[in-house]
This record gives sequence, C-alpha cells and structure tokens, in this order.
Amino acid sequence: MNSVAGTLDTDLLGDARETPATLDAFLAQVERRAFRMAELQLRHREDAMDAVQDAMLRLVKHYRDKPATEWAPLFWGILRRRVVDLQRRRKVRSIVVGWLGGGRDDDGDELPTWEPADPGQDPLGRLHDVQSYADLAAAVRQLPQRQREAFMLRMLEGLDVAETARAMDCSEGSVKTHLSRAMHHLRDQLEDWR
Amino acid sequence: MTSPDEHFEQRARELWHAAAQHIDPATAGRLRAARRQALETKAPARRAVRWLIPTGAFAAIALAAMMVWQPLPQHHATSAMHAASAADELDNELPPDADKADPNLYQNLDFYGWLASTSSHTAAR
Repeated sequence: MNSVAGTLDTDLLGDARETPATLDAFLAQVERRAFRMAELQLRHREDAMDAVQDAMLRLVKHYRDKPATEWAPLFWGILRRRVVDLQRRRKVRSIVVGWLGGGRDDDGDELPTWEPADPGQDPLGRLHDVQSYADLAAAVRQLPQRQREAFMLRMLEGLDVAETARAMDCSEGSVKTHLSRAMHHLRDQLEDWR
Repeated sequence: MTSPDEHFEQRARELWHAAAQHIDPATAGRLRAARRQALETKAPARRAVRWLIPTGAFAAIALAAMMVWQPLPQHHATSAMHAASAADELDNELPPDADKADPNLYQNLDFYGWLASTSSHTAAR
C-alpha cells in the first residue's frame, strides 16, 4: 500500500473536489478516471474509449453553458448511461451471434468473439499493487450494476450524495442504500485489506 | 488512527487514482485527442432555439394586440359606409342633373311632383 500511496501526488487525490475554471480543464481532470471507470465496467478498452469520447462530446455540445459546478454530475451521468447502453448492445449482439451458429465456423472451431482480446498494457505494471487493484476491480465487477455505480461515483470519484443521485437518476436515499450494500459486499470480498 | 472502514475506503480510492494516473501513453494521447475534438464541436441551432422563444412570444403578443384593436377599424369602416349611404340618400333628394336627365321628365314635371308627394304621404301613413 505504501508503494501506491507514495506514487500518488497529493494534488491528484484532491483534484476531484476542485471546480475547474474551464471545460477543457474539467475534461482534462476527469478523462483518465472516466476511461478507467468505463474500462472496469465494460472490460474492453475500445468500448471504454468510445464511451468516454461520446460523453465528452455530449457534455460539450449540450451542457457547455451550464455552471462549472454542474459539469461533474452531468458528465458522470452521461458516461453511466453510455456504459449501460453499450452493455445492452453487447447482450443483444451475443444473442444474435448465438443464433447465427453459436460463434463456430464450418469446421466447428470457435470463432473469435465480437469482443477482441484486450491488447492494452497492464495499468499498474510499474506499481507493486497490481494485484490489489485487480482484486478491487474484480470485486467491483461482481457488484450489481446500481451498487457498482454508486460505489464508483460516491467512493472512488468522490461525488457527494446529491451529485451521485443526479448522475444515477435516482433519489439520494437510493444512493445510500446501494452504497451501503456495495460496501458490505466489498468488505466481505476484500477481507485481506483489513 | 483510522477505522478499518476508513482504511478500506482510503485504500480503494488510492488504488483508483493510481490506476487512473498510470495509463499507457497511447491511451492518454487518444484521450487528449478526444477531448480536443469534443471541445471543437459547436452547439448548432442552440442560439436559434434561444431566439425562437422570445420571437414566438412577441409574435403572440402582436397577434393578440391586433385582435384587440381590430374592432376599431371595423367601426371606422362601418361609419364610413353609413356616411356613404347617407350621401347617396342626399344625392337622391337633389334635383337631377339637367344634362343627364330624361327630357320627358321636364315635360311631365308636374305629374312627377304630384306622384312624389303622393308616395311620400302614403309612406308616412
């Protein structure tokens, strides 16, 4: 843990709470975390990149005139909906692939899946806590969708309850419920961290 | 001294930010390019839409004002019509133009005078 903490810039941990002056600064601040969030949920780098790019475009196109304090919940809300949309498309595509021959060629060999293997580099290759992040990511992926969203937005991204509720299109009470269940599940899954 | 829960949350957050920070250069470059591309997009028709509402409101007010004020010109028109008909009646009471009138009229002028006085008496009754 110390190795991770040592690599962190103190400004980096605090920047999620600062309100940037320009939309460019805001997007520069969140783009990497947005990519990680989409990647963690979609498990596919290209889809994650598409989701982030689309969220950026939509924010700029439709909400550039909104006050800077509203950008964060708007952006994370757009990204969340984009991720859900891509996940739904995946399901439909998987069903169609299953109907059309079950993903096997004429020789009976399994065809490459529609989602190619991720060629990307390990995100924490230069850190000693690769396994810890992998454990966290695996545990977060096991959460139900709404609990995962609540945990990532509230705990990891640092939005307050009201902003998280706005990004998730639900009430603040629902956010607290989802988050409580998510934390309970994650504590059980990541018992070794204690 | 932090509680186990606080420790858990802090640890998760640290790993999360570290993972976000350590993105390979190619992906980071693509994210920057995506940001620039997004910022270059314009918001088409947004201003036009913004102007549509006040313009529509103004048009509605103007239409309402026209409807309110419309009876007055109608009144003027009807009074003008009344004036025209009254003038016609006056014209009828004037002696006919000598050049345009039938010469027989002058030859039987006494008869027509008697006829006019008789018909006016009958109408008065």
